[in-house]
Formats: sequence, C-alpha cells, structure tokens
Amino acid sequence: MHSSIQNTGIQSEVNTLSMRPASQVMQLDRLGSFHQTRLSFMRTLVRRMVTENWQISTPVFDLDDQGYGTVVYQVEAKYGTFSYVLFSHYLDPECRNDRVIADQWDLTMALCEGTVDVEQLEFLRNNVPKQEAGRVDSRVMVLSRANRSARTFEYVVNELTNGRQPNIDVIAEVGYLYRTTAAYGSGKLGMADWEKVWSKHRDFARPFAAEMFTCYILRHFSMEQAEYLASKRAPKTAVKLDESIKRYIGIGNSTGLGMAPFLINHPLLINQWVEMRETALARVVAASESGVQKETLVRLDMGAKRVIQHLSEIVTGDERQHKSNLTVQKELHLMRLWLEEAGPELASNHFVWGTLIEYAEKHWHVETQEVINTLLIELYPELVDELEERMWVDECHDVTPEMSVSDMISVIEDKYDWALAIDFSKQESSGAFWYRSEEKMEPRLGQTDIDLGMEKEMPLGIGRRVRDCYDQMCSYNLAQPNQNVAHFIIKNPTRSGIVARMQTMAKSRYGDIRENLLHTDVLPIHLLRCKLSFFGVSKFDPRSRLWVRNTMFQGAPLIDDFGKPLCDDWQFPIKPIFTAD
Amino acid sequence: MKVSKNELKASLHKAFEGLGFHSGDYHNAADMVIWLETHGFYGFDRLLAALTYLNTTAPVHADLSQDDGYNFVLDGKGTSILLCGSEAVDLLRAASKADSGAGLELINCYNRTFIIQRMVKAAESNVACVAYWRQLDYCVKVSVEAGDFLPEYKTFSLIEEFDTQSLRIFSGPSLGIIENQFKQYLKFGSLIDTYESVKMEDCYRNSLEHGVEIDEALWKTLDDLVARVLVESTELSRAGAGD
Repeated sequence: MHSSIQNTGIQSEVNTLSMRPASQVMQLDRLGSFHQTRLSFMRTLVRRMVTENWQISTPVFDLDDQGYGTVVYQVEAKYGTFSYVLFSHYLDPECRNDRVIADQWDLTMALCEGTVDVEQLEFLRNNVPKQEAGRVDSRVMVLSRANRSARTFEYVVNELTNGRQPNIDVIAEVGYLYRTTAAYGSGKLGMADWEKVWSKHRDFARPFAAEMFTCYILRHFSMEQAEYLASKRAPKTAVKLDESIKRYIGIGNSTGLGMAPFLINHPLLINQWVEMRETALARVVAASESGVQKETLVRLDMGAKRVIQHLSEIVTGDERQHKSNLTVQKELHLMRLWLEEAGPELASNHFVWGTLIEYAEKHWHVETQEVINTLLIELYPELVDELEERMWVDECHDVTPEMSVSDMISVIEDKYDWALAIDFSKQESSGAFWYRSEEKMEPRLGQTDIDLGMEKEMPLGIGRRVRDCYDQMCSYNLAQPNQNVAHFIIKNPTRSGIVARMQTMAKSRYGDIRENLLHTDVLPIHLLRCKLSFFGVSKFDPRSRLWVRNTMFQGAPLIDDFGKPLCDDWQFPIKPIFTAD
Repeated sequence: MKVSKNELKASLHKAFEGLGFHSGDYHNAADMVIWLETHGFYGFDRLLAALTYLNTTAPVHADLSQDDGYNFVLDGKGTSILLCGSEAVDLLRAASKADSGAGLELINCYNRTFIIQRMVKAAESNVACVAYWRQLDYCVKVSVEAGDFLPEYKTFSLIEEFDTQSLRIFSGPSLGIIENQFKQYLKFGSLIDTYESVKMEDCYRNSLEHGVEIDEALWKTLDDLVARVLVESTELSRAGAGD
C-alpha cells in the first residue's frame, strides 16, 4: 500500500524516460555484473546516519583481557532509540565455519528496539549466541553473527600492541577483521516482522537497512576490540588505528546459496530495485541531452581511475572473476582515453552518456558496461538520491481471474518469450534441481538423477513452470475456447501459483529474471552478486559457482564522521596512502 | 510461544507443501490461516481441525458442477476451504460486472470460516462479497464492501434449513447491489452477535507488535510437516551448497 502510493508519482516519468528493456537488463549474467550504486542499501544508510548525526554510545563495554564478554551500543537515531547487543565468545579455531550450518561463532549480535534492561540482556545472553537454535522476541529486529579473520585480526592486534600501524597491504589483501556469515531480520526466529519495522521505526524503514546497520556497527566493534586488546596487552606502548586505515577496514561477508531463492521468491521486490536503478540511469542519460559540464567529465575520469585501482587491488583465486577484473581495467583505460581525446567535443555532445553506453554495449564486456553505468549514476546525486525512498514494494501475487485464457496465452508469449524459448526436451535444460537440506533448511543445488531429493524440489524453475502452464493453457483453450482464467484454474488447480505470478509480473516493467535455473551449467553466483550489489558490497571474490566472499562498508565513513560534512565517495574502495611515523 | 507473521508464513508454506499442496495453494492457505489468527478468528484452532483431514488424503480440489455464467455450484467433495476457497472467490470475481453480481454455492466443504480472508482479498480488488453458512444452530454472515480491508461479521438465528457443510457467496461491485440483486437469498433471523471490526484491528496490531501466540504442540506439528519437504544431508549434498 505504502509503496503503491509512492510509485504512482514516478510512473508517468518512467514511461517517458528511455529505459533499457527487460530483455537486456534481466539477463542473469548482466544482473551478476552489477556493482554498488548510490541507491545501494549501505550507501543510503551511511548517508542517513552521517547527515542525521546518529549518536552511538556504549553503556556496556564488559570485555575481559581476551576480548570476550558483552558490549551494548545505544543508538540515538533521528526518530528512535535502539540497542545493539553483542556477545564475544571464545571459539576454537577448528570450529570456525562460515557456512549456514555452523553452530558456534566468535561474535553474536542482536539489534533491538529501545533500551535494554538487565532482564532483557539476560534473555538475549541465553538466546543470541545460539542463533537459529535460540528464540528471540519482537523487540529484536536483527540477529547476526561473525567470525574473526584468521589472517588479519591477530596481526592487527599485534601491530597495535607493538606501537605500529598494520601494513596496509595486509589489510588490502583481506579488507576486514571480521566476517559476518548471516544477518537475519524480517521476523525470523521470533523477531519483529518487517511490517512492524517499517511502520514503527522510520530510521530503518527501507529494505535491509537494519541488517546493514548491524554489519556497520560490527565493523566499528571489530576495530574497537582490536584497539582494546592492544591496550590491554601493552598499556604504555599500544597505539590506536590510524583513521585512514580504519576507514579502509570493512566487514567481510560470505554469501552462499541461501540468498539465491530470495531473488526468485521476491520477483516484485527485485523488479522494484532494478527499476529504480534503471530509472536513475535513464535520468542520467536524459540529463546529458545538451552535453555535460567539463567538471562532470573530469569526475567520471577520476571515478574510472579509482575503479581501475580498486580492481587491481582485488585478490581473487577465481579465474573467471580475475579475467573479468583485468578486462574491465583495460576497457576503462580505453574509456579514459576517449574522454581525454574527445573531451572538449563531448561537453556539447547531444546525449553523450547515451552514446557512451551504446558504445560500451557494442564493444566492451558486460561487467565494464555495468561499471560505467554505476559511475554515471554516481555523477548525479541530485537526480538519483530521492529514488532511495522507492526501493520497497508490497509483494503480493494475485490472479486476475476475469482475464480470458486467450489473452493470458498472449501475455505469456509476450512477457515470457524467454521461457518459451528454452528447449526443455534437452537433458541439460533440467540438469539441476534446488532443494532444502534437513541441515538448517539450507538451500542446495542437486544434479538431476544423481543427487537425492528430486521429489522435494523447490519450485524455482520458473521457466519450466511457465512452459508447462503455457502448454496446458493452449490445450485447454483449444478444447474450451472463450473461457477465463478462473475456469482454467478450476480445471487445473495446480497452476494457480504460476498463473498468479505471471499475471502479476506481467504488469511490472522488468518482470522475472530471465534464466533457466535448472540448467546443468547455471551460475547461481550471478544471483548472489545481483543481490549483494543492491546491498552495496564490493570486492567480489567467488569461491566457487555457489558462494562468494565480499567486503561491506570498506571505505565508508566512521562513527566519528557522523554529523560532519559527508564524503559520499567511498564506493570502489582503494588503499589509502599512509606513511607510518 | 510467540512467532512472527513472516516466520509463520514461511513455516505454513512449507508445512502445506509437505501436505502436497502446490505453489499457489500453499500461499493462499497460509494467508488464510494467518489472517484469521491475527484478526481474532482462531485461525490455529481451525487449522488443527483442517489438518485432521488434510493429513489423511492427497489435496482435493472442488469441481464445477453448475455454471450459467453468473450462478455457480462448486462441489467441494469434502475438501477444505484452504484448498477450494480461492477458486470459488476467483470464479465470482471473474463473473462480477460493473453493475451486477454473481452467486455461488459451495457444497460439501469444510473449514468455511477461512473464506473470510479470500473475501477480504477480493475487496482489495474492488469486489464486494457477502457469504453465509450454517454453523451448528445459527447462521454466520460475513460481508466486505469493495475497497474495505476488514469484514463485517455477524451471527443470526436460523430461519431456513440448509446444508450443514455448504456455503453461499455473492459478489458484486458494492454491497448495495448485492443486497438488492440477491435479496431473496439474503434473509436472516434475529441478530445474535457481532464481531466488531475494531476488535479485529486491535488483534492485528497486537500480533504485529508482540508476535503471534502459538501453541508449542502446533508449532511442533508444523515442524513435522515441514520436515517432509527437507532432504537428507549427505557429504555429497554438502557439495551442492559450496563445500
């Protein structure tokens, strides 16, 4: 309801802008090439915290000399008070596991509404460390956990203990001191429903804002704990982290298949995110109708230079990602050359950004294209930032029962042509299936006729479901012409779900992700990257086709920066230039 | 114990899936249970009653036995509204015109109170609905105006004998048009009770703020049903998650 009111205002504008078509944007490899933009949830959260000058205090900081214990941060946001409760535990390094199936972590955290009294703290202490095996209540908004980086945490503490700043190259290789392995919200394990969060807590009334905040405060704690341990070990000689290094320290993240079903099960939300991103891009292109200012060209050039450095600093063992990073760097060099050579002319060039995008689409890698789009969006905060309020939509798939079956067939042929083009008679088109494991209901990808569990397949093969429904609908229409969808469903009740989905998504601009997720060679990692780009992560480091490591909030302002003029230029973080005393 | 709406929805989806419901059916069934429970209509008690049937048979859907374009008879074949309520209301939605309504009799069906959620859903798409059925020795009448979010729920004394497991529903562009077009069917005895919409709203707000109270035994029952859609974990299957 909330979103439909918001969205009516933008609809006429969207209709007049030149938006990229769904057939281009909703291809999975393109979605999997997206990068953070100004609309990503970390970016919008940071803008909000800094400009609204959120106050973070520490009413409880009860850690022992090993850094284990309890910390409570109290958050005074613009509209409300919240408590971030963190438990730090000893963890046997042998038990450190980033997978969903883990049951012990270095840190466990909860973000709660209001202040936390002794009784509630005790309740949280008994449940938060258990994560999925515990229960919390509706005062809790987010539950999360994190593991130390074996490579950096102890190293940084030792350096600080010895009065030295850590080597920036070591930090760069990893990017963080802690990795979060999950941040649950939206009512899981007894927590507050998303509906409660957005209707009651305006500070977090945007998708995943509370979850991102939980990771942001974790970042703050990770550095505070490192400094604390150093000061305990050597009270006289220990130093604090240099501010520029602190900004460069992010939070690590491992994301696996668990995130993939989300994108398929929330198609309206994904459509909304993509539509806002594409609206931003279309606005930017429209703004270049009469050319662009010289300083805008300079800013684009600086942005490209930054991305080149950022990509060159990424350490990944994934050959495909490594090659892609190299290609993007090379092609961005070409773009910089073009900017340099054609600069004066471009300033008055008609729709210069449209020309650039078109050239990139014809000549450059899809990831380069999407980096350029991200950079262009970055240039126009005044055109883009207000879209951040439109990233949510009330999700509901409804049957339109009065639609005639023949019209429905036309809708499928028009909007789901991509699904009808898949040849499901080929073995590889159904070579994979998705299922939930009994281990914490973890989503997994199985090989058809090899792995167990096909009879319990999750209905994520939208393309095949569309195909089956379409075939049945065509047969039905031949046998009983002039009937409506309500009658079709009475005769074919198992199709009601896919009919509702198709009718609902047909009204959206971008619709479903255009990929057969049942193909033998499907790359779920594209799904993960797409969602992570909207979260705002960077430094993608695929560990297989099923999971990816990345960095959150690297380069972002610190809590000490809240209330100061905002430097909103932290995307594509690069190594700070730091000279130790 | 308290659970959130989202958590409940996720659990019910999988539990109904475990009972053999297809996508669409399990979404609708979960919505019906949650709406009733969070609006004070004892959705969990009704779910428990439904489970005694649903747990013993594969999902059964209703058959259309009469259809003249505006008046329908659906034979529920003993199934639950959780499985045939959406189809019934969708038939009516499709048949409702700008100036006239449609009527449907759903015979041989159970758990009829769940139909309220589907009527509210129809009202969201600007179709008004009236439904009534016999409950023990009284009659339940539910009406929702087009565009409204909450129904009017009343009970009356019986003045006609009708089947104990049937349900009549009428739809139209407004309650006024329905009442006028189908007045010969919409005759009730003396008013026994009214469940005020303000109480429904209070119940909903309370469940949103504090969570939904659910009996641990029912939660365990749902968990057992959810387990039916889970696959045994093996070393090989762990590879399918990235190991």
